[in-house]
Amino acid sequence: MRAPEQLHGTRVVAAPAILDELAAWPEPSALPGGVTLLRLAADDLLMIHQGSVKAAWKGESSIQEKESGFVGWWLTPEELDHVVTHVDWPLPADRPALAQGLIAGVPAKLWLEEDRALLLCTAAYAHELEERL
Amino acid sequence: MSAEAGRFVLDGRRLPYEPGDTVAIAIVRAGEHPKYGGTLCLAGDCGNCVAEVDGIAYVRTCQTPASDGLEVDRHPADGAPAWHEPQGEPAEIGVEREEADLVVIGAGRSGTAAAAEAKRAGRQVTQLEAAQGTEVVAVYAGPTLIARTPEGMLHIRAKEVVVATGAAEIQPVCPGSGLAGLLTARAAAKLQAAGVEMPNAVAIGPAPEGVPCTPLTGELVRFEGEGRVSAVVTLEDGAERTTSCGTVILNLGRSPRDVLSRMGADLPMSVIGSAAEAFPLPPAPTAGIVCACAGIGVDDLQGVWDRGFNELELVKRASLAGTGTCQGAACMPHVRAWIAARTGAAPEPFTARPASRQITLGEAGADVHLDAFRRTPLHGEHLAVGAQMDRFGGWWRPWNYGDHLAEYRAVREAVSLGDVSTLGKFVVAGPDAVEFLQRLYPTDVSTIRVGRSRYALLLNERGHVIDDGMICREADDRFVLTFTTGGAGNAEMWMRDWMETWGLNVLLLDRTMSLAAINVTGPRAAELLARVGLADPPRFLQHVHTELGGMPVHVMRLSFTGEASWEIHHPVDRSVDLWRALLEVGEELGIRPHGLQALFALRLEKGHVIIGMDTELDTTPRRLGMDWAVNMDKPFFIGRDALARTASLPDQRRLVGLTMAGDAPTEGTPIASRGEVLGHVTSSFASPALGQAVMLGWLKRAPFPDQVEVDGRTAAVTAPPFYDPEGLRARA
Repeated sequence: MRAPEQLHGTRVVAAPAILDELAAWPEPSALPGGVTLLRLAADDLLMIHQGSVKAAWKGESSIQEKESGFVGWWLTPEELDHVVTHVDWPLPADRPALAQGLIAGVPAKLWLEEDRALLLCTAAYAHELEERL
Repeated sequence: MSAEAGRFVLDGRRLPYEPGDTVAIAIVRAGEHPKYGGTLCLAGDCGNCVAEVDGIAYVRTCQTPASDGLEVDRHPADGAPAWHEPQGEPAEIGVEREEADLVVIGAGRSGTAAAAEAKRAGRQVTQLEAAQGTEVVAVYAGPTLIARTPEGMLHIRAKEVVVATGAAEIQPVCPGSGLAGLLTARAAAKLQAAGVEMPNAVAIGPAPEGVPCTPLTGELVRFEGEGRVSAVVTLEDGAERTTSCGTVILNLGRSPRDVLSRMGADLPMSVIGSAAEAFPLPPAPTAGIVCACAGIGVDDLQGVWDRGFNELELVKRASLAGTGTCQGAACMPHVRAWIAARTGAAPEPFTARPASRQITLGEAGADVHLDAFRRTPLHGEHLAVGAQMDRFGGWWRPWNYGDHLAEYRAVREAVSLGDVSTLGKFVVAGPDAVEFLQRLYPTDVSTIRVGRSRYALLLNERGHVIDDGMICREADDRFVLTFTTGGAGNAEMWMRDWMETWGLNVLLLDRTMSLAAINVTGPRAAELLARVGLADPPRFLQHVHTELGGMPVHVMRLSFTGEASWEIHHPVDRSVDLWRALLEVGEELGIRPHGLQALFALRLEKGHVIIGMDTELDTTPRRLGMDWAVNMDKPFFIGRDALARTASLPDQRRLVGLTMAGDAPTEGTPIASRGEVLGHVTSSFASPALGQAVMLGWLKRAPFPDQVEVDGRTAAVTAPPFYDPEGLRARA
């Protein structure tokens, strides 16, 4: 597996209802350029982007932190097929979709779009994933 | 199978085989036995034909097609197969994964009928048959079936499974059952079909159709012969009768091949055909080998029974009957019958566990990964300067950089860097953040001012210490918490559990793998920080957010080493830049990084405990001498009730400091007083600064003495810290 690329973004932790609104930007084209939203948990959103993006709303508390702890590989369909051979849980059928679990025994995530996918993990695990794939 | 006759190698000799022969049939055709003796079933059920095939031990030769050049070595008649040193890297065994609607295991009559019926009903059916090369060897939750194929391993997740694996034939248990020349009825039929001669054959039980043999009447008593059977003894009307023979064909009944269905007892799995049939058990054996795989005889069963192992599962564990290569397929009917004769009821078959058949370690480990250990962003930096890395708390960490005493001195005398990126790091925020932390910690969090930090213990409901770390207040409603490297994962689960339980308005973000951290420590640490642009670093137990070279950093002043120390938390992708800059600027100051070996020594001189190393599962603050970390004036915190209840009770345990002359004893060394062991040493170090060995250790019996014996020497019991007890250096 080739070396991963550093991902930059923002981590937002807030009440689930707040993140529901934030994550429900109606169309990907409505998002600021190059922003990918990954809902890691009900109260945890990872926005992958370059440059500055700030999620703002009134009257609600949140934690917002710059996030550079993840690295990733944008995969072609052929590369995704290879990665999937190391996944022993069912992938979601919908697109786009986020899937999280062990890949080749390493905690990792797959962001699945129609024609490509992003495989990501924390930088601390990147060497293991890279070697095992 | 081979299309033409050829030759394979048996024990170094070339042996012919006919088209369609398995190795076992070819060996019998040559007048020999694949295992020197024992009843052959030629159906893969027993372990009586196993041999080493092309370097792999315990291969069932009855399931192995003979082929040119195949190398077969029989296992020794007694003892284990020879060990071979591995030759190069073993070939990787691939895993194919499939999803299936309905899987039918077995392509016999009932399996084929079930598959056809399911297909007519519109089901998508996958049929797996060992004889066709796909042998299911394990069933797991899912249900997930693990099968061995000629290409590798197959993992199938099925919605439903039908087991149609048929029945195995009962093997004889009596004296002489280890001789050659004994065949089950099906084996005899197979040999007959293959054109193998069975001279002077007699049959016990119904004779197989089309196999020339002389049927005998009466009960089987024993076989006689030297290596190969020459006579069989039967009992009829109270009299023994000896019949000369060259082959004995045994048709003693059947038992279900139900090992897979017993593995998947709670799964959507059904059993049909002979595999589901309740065949009668054979007569209880009275003499001879019951489990040929493990060499367990009737006498062995009696031995464990007499010792009180009076259930099937216990008999199995104590005697090892059923734990061999056939996993009880041959012996279990006999063991059940033997127990039934003693209890009056046949026990249910014992629990079946993967794998049902002999598989290689490579097959078992195919696609199985070792635990993944994390690397800090400085991993490469550590290796570049010769660090010896080791695994701690799920991370690779530098144990030392070649000279732990030099690293120790750098901390005590100059300045040093430690990679503490592995510490747990969490942000807690929200309107109820203070209330949440007040309940979580035994310290009074409300009195921590913004910009200040405090060391805190984390307790469970029983008042036992489960972790420790720092609480840094960043705003009225926002905190940064740190936890130990190994405890961070549990601490997060602990906090999330209580957040949900209490229903407080509080948010939690794990920053452990997003932020790296470098500990700058030593009497010249402040000087180093000034040189990289931090002229006014925070004072003891203060912390600030600032920038270093354009990098956002969170700087905390604390001390684990006993010297002035600042932890610099920063983004992981900038860590190498910071590390290199600090080392470069610090060169004139005598800087060098320190590993865990030095760190453990430094903190021991200060008497700082390491949770999990110096503590035990039931360690309370009082036992650690850390009551100062608990504020019992608070109305509630986790563990408060337990601490209040036990506070008035006498305690027999105390973690103490110990000093003695000479070398440091091995950690774990017993602590004794007047010949009685009172506890053990948890940490030890021969301190260059103090000129003696310093230790932490448990005393587990009151009254606690002032002197004890450790490693045959006298040690003084003392209260840590051993080094700079006033803490002047840490606060300097």
